[in-house]
Amino acid sequence: MIEAKNIYLAYDENKFIIKKGSFTIKEKEFVFIGGTSGSGKSTLLKSFYGDIPLKHGSLIIDGKQVNSIVNKELRSLRKDIGIIFQDYKLINEISIEENIMIPLKINGYSNEISRNQALKLLSHVKLSHRKGFKPNELSGGEQQRVAVARALAHNPKIIIADEPTGNLDDSSAQIVWNLLKGANEQLGITVVVVTHRVPKNLGIRFKQLSIEDGIIYEVS
Amino acid sequence: MKSLRNHLAFIIPLISMLLTFVIYLFTNNVINDYKTSISKDYSIVIVTHTPLFKEKLATISGISVKRIISLKKDKILKKLKKDLSKTSISLLKSKLPFFYKIQLSDFPTSSQLKSIEKELKRNKNIKNIEIFSKNHNHIYLLLVILNKIVVILFIIILLFTVIIISKQVKIWFYENSSQITILKLHGASVLYSGSKIIRQALFSSTISFILVSAIVFFISMNMNLFIPLELQGIINTKINLSSQIINIFLLSYGISFITVMSVLITYKIEND
Repeated sequence: MIEAKNIYLAYDENKFIIKKGSFTIKEKEFVFIGGTSGSGKSTLLKSFYGDIPLKHGSLIIDGKQVNSIVNKELRSLRKDIGIIFQDYKLINEISIEENIMIPLKINGYSNEISRNQALKLLSHVKLSHRKGFKPNELSGGEQQRVAVARALAHNPKIIIADEPTGNLDDSSAQIVWNLLKGANEQLGITVVVVTHRVPKNLGIRFKQLSIEDGIIYEVS
Repeated sequence: MKSLRNHLAFIIPLISMLLTFVIYLFTNNVINDYKTSISKDYSIVIVTHTPLFKEKLATISGISVKRIISLKKDKILKKLKKDLSKTSISLLKSKLPFFYKIQLSDFPTSSQLKSIEKELKRNKNIKNIEIFSKNHNHIYLLLVILNKIVVILFIIILLFTVIIISKQVKIWFYENSSQITILKLHGASVLYSGSKIIRQALFSSTISFILVSAIVFFISMNMNLFIPLELQGIINTKINLSSQIINIFLLSYGISFITVMSVLITYKIEND
């Protein structure tokens, strides 16, 4: 599903954040990427959806070479991925229902299908009663649940989450972990999560990668 | 309030441009009508050695010949009848050249008139030409100058409008940058990401179109307030409302579409 071979990532030409990174993530795997602050976890995640170009090496996601990807293919790759951000990245001008509809509409689903799916997911994340609310009218935990629902909306092949519980209290964090666990177990979606705090008692098998001094290690 | 101000920054230049365009169309219409009316009274007189046929002189200097009227020689001969014998008169009749009045389909400009004279002079069959250049219409020339000034003004305002509108579209892009980024991260195309901006531009264009159409409608219904009655007898001041509105519609949406698309393409090139 994701295959990285000797990848180098950098914002600055001479300062590599990831050096010679190699790893494989199989289909339906649940993977945590850990490391200290500033170790390059989020940068690595950004390379998965083509937000930062590779300096060297090869990165294949779902059969697509990310390093040589052109604009149209990049859009197609992003359509196959569900992304969850630490700061939620919800659009405050529209309702949470419409936010969930975004990936569906981008993937060409009709308004009716998109709305039905959004309502189903809102019920799944227990926010049906707030469907007309704007994101900035919700708490952090609720916003992150909306973000998870949006990432699941178009039934993606991979879910990439960057510190999804970083700003949440324990109970909200637990809800988010349960949602991601359900996506992996019930829907067979590959889940890659960047976090500095791996949850205890997740109740599923997972793989753990760690980044130290720009080098990626497999922990377990 | 801020949103209204944003729309005004788009609407005001667009309305100014559309109004200048309406003035241009109006003066152009007046000139064309006036040209048609004065061309009926204008003709060129030529004297030829042999009879002249319209087929041989279909156009002169790009202006088509509407009619060639043969001028009868009888009037000249009538005056001479008392002093000359019958034989001399018939001899004179056979020796007299042919006189023609040429009517053109369009009223020629001064420069066209000069080239008409040149072209006719090259024709060996033509003995003499009178183009009546002194009678050439001064009102027409003034109208042509006025129309040229309006065209220049329109082009200048068009350029400024495009610059101001594109700046406004860029501001809208900046204001919606986080939304555009989120949509792009989900695989949306630039066109889809910028759909809100396209809708804003369409809304502003619609407002501009409605306002300018209303102004044109008001002017056409109250022409007496704007054009003195005396002038209305000389020039045709009627406004073809439906064609004016179609032109305003096309220009309003056309300019907005082209400007928004250029900004979108520039954004795509810069961000890909």
